[in-house]
Order: sequence, then C-alpha cells, then structure tokens
Amino acid sequence: MIRSLFYSITFHSAMILLTVLTLPFMLREPIDLPPIVSVELIQISDKTNIPYAPKARKIIEEKKKKEEERVVSEQAPPAAKAKEKPDRIPLPNEEKEEKKIIKKKQNPEEVKPQIRQSSEFEKKEIIDTNQIAALIDKAKEVEAVKREDKNKITQSSRKNSFATGLTLSQEDALRAQIFGCWSVPLGLPYDQNLLVRIKLQLKKDGTILKSEILDHERMNRPGQKFYKVLAESALRAVRLCQPLKVPPTGYDKWKDLQLNFNPTEMLKG
Amino acid sequence: MRILILIFFLNLFVSHKALALIEIDITRGNLDPLPIAVSPLHVDVKSEEYKDIKVKELGDNISKIIEKNFRNTGLFNPLKKDAFVQKPDIAHLKPRFEDWRLIKAQALVTGKLLVKGEKLKVEFRLWDLTAAKEITALAFTTTPSNWRRVAHIISDKIYERLTGEEGYFDTRIIYVAESGPKNQRIKKLAIMDQDGANTKYLTLGNELVLTPRFNPTNQMVTYMSYFRNMPRVYLLDIETGTQEIVGNFPGMTFAPRFSPDGKKIIMSFAKDGNSDIYTMELESRIVERITEHSSIDTSPSFSPDGKFIAFNSDRSGLQQIYIMRSDGSNVKRITFGKGIYGTPVWSPRGDLIAFTKMHKGRFYIGVMRTDGTGERLLTENYYQEAPSWSPNGRVLVFYRETKAGDKGEGFTAKLWSIDITGYNERRLSTKTDASDPSWSSLLTK
Amino acid sequence: MTLKTNLKNILLVIFTTLVLSACSTAKKSGDIDGDVYTGKETVEYLASGVPDRVFFATNKSSLTTKSRETLRKQATFLRKNKKLNVTIEGHADERGTREYNLALGERRANAARDYLMTYGISGKRISVISYGKEKPVNPKSSPISWSQNRRSVTVKVN
Repeated sequence: MIRSLFYSITFHSAMILLTVLTLPFMLREPIDLPPIVSVELIQISDKTNIPYAPKARKIIEEKKKKEEERVVSEQAPPAAKAKEKPDRIPLPNEEKEEKKIIKKKQNPEEVKPQIRQSSEFEKKEIIDTNQIAALIDKAKEVEAVKREDKNKITQSSRKNSFATGLTLSQEDALRAQIFGCWSVPLGLPYDQNLLVRIKLQLKKDGTILKSEILDHERMNRPGQKFYKVLAESALRAVRLCQPLKVPPTGYDKWKDLQLNFNPTEMLKG
Repeated sequence: MRILILIFFLNLFVSHKALALIEIDITRGNLDPLPIAVSPLHVDVKSEEYKDIKVKELGDNISKIIEKNFRNTGLFNPLKKDAFVQKPDIAHLKPRFEDWRLIKAQALVTGKLLVKGEKLKVEFRLWDLTAAKEITALAFTTTPSNWRRVAHIISDKIYERLTGEEGYFDTRIIYVAESGPKNQRIKKLAIMDQDGANTKYLTLGNELVLTPRFNPTNQMVTYMSYFRNMPRVYLLDIETGTQEIVGNFPGMTFAPRFSPDGKKIIMSFAKDGNSDIYTMELESRIVERITEHSSIDTSPSFSPDGKFIAFNSDRSGLQQIYIMRSDGSNVKRITFGKGIYGTPVWSPRGDLIAFTKMHKGRFYIGVMRTDGTGERLLTENYYQEAPSWSPNGRVLVFYRETKAGDKGEGFTAKLWSIDITGYNERRLSTKTDASDPSWSSLLTK
Repeated sequence: MTLKTNLKNILLVIFTTLVLSACSTAKKSGDIDGDVYTGKETVEYLASGVPDRVFFATNKSSLTTKSRETLRKQATFLRKNKKLNVTIEGHADERGTREYNLALGERRANAARDYLMTYGISGKRISVISYGKEKPVNPKSSPISWSQNRRSVTVKVN
C-alpha cells in the first residue's frame, strides 16, 4: 500500500513537473497524453523471496531426498479421533480425578528401580566380542577407504594426520562410519556449548574394547540434561558402529581413538 | 599463503601435545528420527472390568497413544509392532536386547498395567538397547478413566529422558471451533487434549467468541465475546463454568492474555477509534493504562519473567512489533524487515518471540530473538496467524485459512503445528474447523 | 504578462487534472479505485438515495471524497429523523491478523462517526461496534470482495 502510494506520488509529481517544464511546447503542439501508468496492487503476488530458516530448508531438503528413497512416509496423517458427545463444561468430578493423578505422581506408590544409569556410565564398559561379526575382508576395506569422499576433510583431520600418521582417507573412513551411526538428538539447543569427547580402545578387528566419556561426571550434574542426552547418543553411535572398519595395518596408531562429538553445526543448519 | 603456513605450524604445536591419540571430530550424523519400539503394555490377568473401558485392550491402546505422540514430534520413529518378537510381559521383565536391536530399534518402552478396585496401576520402563540397560522406570496409580492421560504422562517422561527437555503431551489446547458458511460463522470455545481427543465445547455458539487464552494453571481462560453485542474481554473458570466480564470499560476490550503469574490480564481497550494497552489486576480490579498513543496498540504479550511486554502497533504507519517495560516505559520497535508484523508471543523460555508476518500477500509464522534479530520464517501460506507456544518452547501451534470461492466455498480454518526449526509441520485433528489456538502448560509437573 | 501567467496556470491545472484522471482510470478495475471499492453491489440504503456504507483502502481509515458525500447524505437523513439512533459497524478484510483488524474496524467506524458529528449529529445517537474480519459481506477471497469488506456500515437501531 505504502509502495503504491509512493509510486502514485512520484508519478504524479513527475507529471506535474513535466507539465510545468514543457508547457510552452505543449501550447504549440497537440496535447499528447502520457501512456497509462498501471500501479500493481501488492496483495496478490504468488511468490516471494523470503527464505525459510536455513536449518528448516536444509532439513526439508534432506527429508525430501529421503522420502524419495523410502516409499512409506513416517509421518502418517493424524488418525481420526474417537467420537464423543460434546459437553458444555467438563464435569466437576472429572476435574477432581485429574487432580488425583497429580497427587499420585508426586508421591508414587511404588517407584521401580531407576536412576541407576548414572553409575553405570561411570563404569568402563567392556563389550562382549562374541556377538560381533567376523573379520572383514581387508583388501576390500582398503579400497573402500580410498574411495571415501575427500571433500569431508576438515581442518582437524589435517591436524591429526600430521601428528599421528593416519592418512587422511583412513581417518575420513572412520569419521564417515560414525557419521552414519550417529542419530543426532534433534531437540538439542544449538546455542549451547555441547561437546562430548569419547575415548575408545579398539581391538584389531575394530570392535570396541573400552569406551569412556571424558567428562562423564558432567552427565549427572544438574542442568546438564542436554549434555547427558548428547553423551548417550554418542555412546549409542559408537556401539552401533562396531566393529569399525579399521585400517589393515598400523594398529598401534589407531588402537586408541578420541571422538569429539559436536552437533552445533548440524543443529544450526 | 603466509597465514596457511602459520596455521600449519600452530596446528603442529597443538597436536604435538596429543601425539599418541588420534582425535576425530564428529560434526555430522544422520537426521533420521530415533528408532524406538513401544511394546504394548502387558495387562495383568488379575485385572477387573471397569465401566465401559476395554481393559483387555488398554495396554495396546496406551502404547498406540505413546507411539502417536512420538511420531508427531518428528524426533522419534516408532517401529511397526508386527516386527516385535518378544511378548509384552517377558519384554517388560528382561528384554532380549539383541532381538530388539535386530529390528534396528535403539530404545524400547515396555510396561504393564493392572485395573483393580477402581484403580489403574501402571508401570513402564525405558531401555537403551545399545547399552543393554534400563534408563528410566516409573509407576503410578490413578482412576482407570484417566488412561489417556497416563499415556501422555509416560510419553512426557520418555521424551524428557531422551531429549533433555520437558515434554508437551499431557497438555490441552483451547481454541475456537468454527462451523457454518464463511459470512455467518458460528464460533464456540472448545478445549481438547493436545492429540485431539476429548473435545469439549465451553460455549454454545450463540455469540461470537474469539482469542481464548489459558492462565498459567490452566484453570481459567480469558477470551473475547460479543455477548449482547458488547465486545468485551471475559474470564471463564473451566472447572465451574462460570463466566464474568473483565473490568468495566466503556468500549471494546480485546486481545486479552494473562500475565505470567496469572494475577493480571493484559488487553487492548478501544476508545474513540484508538486502541491502547491496559492491564487489570484480577483480585483488586485495579486497571492500569500501559500505552498512550494515537496509534493502534494491540496484541500484548508478557515476557515469562513479567518484566517486558511485546505488542503490536502501527505508530510507524504500518503494523510492527514493539517491546516495552511492563510499566509502559522504554518502548522500542524491534521489527524492521520487509512487510508488516503482528501477533508477537513471547516464548516460555524467554529467548524468542513468535510472530505473524505479512509480505506481498503471503503470511508467515516466524520466530526472532527478543531484540528483533535472528528472524527465522518457519512457514509460508495464503493465510495463517496467531502462533501459540508449546509449554517447552519447541513447537508452535497456529491456525491457517484457505481461499474461498464466490460463495465462500473452499474456505477452511484448521490448526497446524510446526517446530521452531521450521521442520515437522503437521495439521492437528479437530472435529470442526478451528482457529485461535492456545496451548496449556503441562497439566502435571 | 499577468494574462499569460494566468493562462499558463489554468492550462497547467487542466492538464494535471487530465493526467490524474488518466492515472485513476488506469488503476480502476471494475469498481475499485486505488483499492477502495466504489461500486454499488453490496450497498444497502437507509432511505432512498442514502447509502448505508462507506469503503476504505487497505489498512486505512481515512474517508474518501465519495465516502464523505455518502456520510453527508446520512447526516441529512439523520437530521430529518431526529428520533432515529444508529450503530456504525466497522469491518476489515480478511488479509490481516484478527486482533489488529478489530482495532482497525473500530477506527473506521469512529472515522464515520466523527464525520457525522461534524455535520451536527449528536454523538449520543451514534454507537460504534467493530467486527474486525469476522463478518465479511462478500465471502470470496479476491481483491474486489476484500474491498467490499473494508467498510463501515450505518445501521438503524430503533
């Protein structure tokens, strides 16, 4: 609206100015009306350039890609609701019942064993190797490692390869495996410093001998729920991923690994 | 080039400290929702019948509600039950983790219930399948008719354990139920569970009602009604059904909301064509004028700490969002983007303001920081407005209208929700057309 | 010299008028001028020749020349019928947020009321009510019907 008003004023004053300036000539020649100026209403345009939130777009795009792959959508439309007669006002006794549950919840009659998880995480976990799949054909694996996308190289990987002697592609191969296993908890806030460091001890076959969260005491500190959630997701990723496809040689170089899980980039989008 | 060399050397120094240890930064993962298995709750054989509740199916039905809640978050992927290998009662005692891992589940919910002596006893456990251990367990007792709420409370507990933030399932939404042709809409106040169940109508539809909003304890609702053709702000006690007019204003009052402590109602009062913002303390009935400006000032919303108010004003010529201290001082415009802005609503966390934006004939729901920076538009459509926050500040519910044809045909008004990430947009099922949603806080804390 | 200046001025005015009318014709599509409705489709009458409503531009509550003309007719009608009281209903189109539209409708109704009062009608005889976007006269989603809905309507109450 402002814009069309602006156009209107601009054009009109331009016309008047033009008239004043050119009036003498006009007197001699037949009056030539300027072309019709049409001013567009702004209400009904179909497109706009306003972007989605960057993260939203990214996720939507990724979602679309996935939905193309998967035939069945996970997001079924909400099911129809049970029929019920509309009441004008909820019955008083119903409200009372709801209050009861509040009380009950504050004083649960029986509380089953719980909150043991904290202590369990403090223990260093030993994984049973029996259940783990057999060794993989090493030759194939080297090839796979070499085929890894070089674009994934980050600064830290450069840094590490200088220090440790693992080749970039070997390191990227490890990284890519964890990427695939890690379900990032999408509900985490992106604006908090959430970094989980896990120290791994690997066997020669890539199974995990030991996994340890370096700041594990932080998990049980009050107000660190998000850290705990992230740490648990990182542990799940590591366990899901084993046996890791490890380089065929240089066991000494990679038997101890430290994984730094940092979701900030993902969550920011 | 020189910088590169410098970085090279710096890196060399830094990494020399940890020479023995390879550090790998994991900055990416998959964005798939977490696969979770919700086993039907085992119904104890000692269970008795209770009224019209199908006790035998209760365990299955509770697990279905939990699954639906999880699916709707977009953060979890509840797995199909037909792939489940273990019976509910055995799974609840001691799941065979490797079996559940085989169907790619990462978490498992099990439980059992008993209906006896007019009581419903429920316990549930949440298992981390990769770690092969229980991470949460809880039990509680209530009346059997509350079984849906039990399912929601379980959902909240699991959600909190797996995401680190409070859930929002044991909540309700109050809204305006709409019916009839577009130019003769019948509007009633309606309330339902967050998942669309238990719809109840609070007014009969004899007069136009608009913009209901919960108080912090979810017992009271403030809304606008055209009762006797006098558009005024009203207060409704949901429990008793009593209604009263708020204040004694000689003109239209509208756009009401509660203060975060529930003691005041903030609203607009229109006099001689000019709308300003007022508060009224409910107990003392003291009315206070907050803004005094010849422009339209409306849609006020308190910050959660009660210290600030965001509102809508056209003092610059067009609708924009402003914030001020709760006494009306320090008025500051915060929206400067293209288009016009309305309906600011402060998030429960206090760090964001949700809004409606109109630009080039399209409507957007978005969020921004409280100083107006960091604007993120979450969804675009032909017409949508009036966002309301979920109690944990993660989801917004709003209403959306469709285009109407010559006789008003094709017109609908529906409730929708979207994550503040802009992801997971979905329609809420309502029995009728619906608008002006307001999300309650958690019914049990 | 004076004659020449005068002539020039007169010609200037005529020409400007021509240009302006050309522009407004250009913007006119059907019964819309700018985006104010000028047609008669939804209009009812308080009495013969006294239209009951005036129309507004998007987000505006200022009265157009035509609206003023209509309101003067209403004022004349109300002066003749001294015992008649009226309510002015203010309305907005559907392309705005509900709460703002309530305020906007109120402002439009009061703009009409104020104008009637300057023509000698007592404010006591005129009450106002805003319906915002709640009572469209034309339910269609189109610029024409939105312009018909941006209105204030004078309704007899007794």
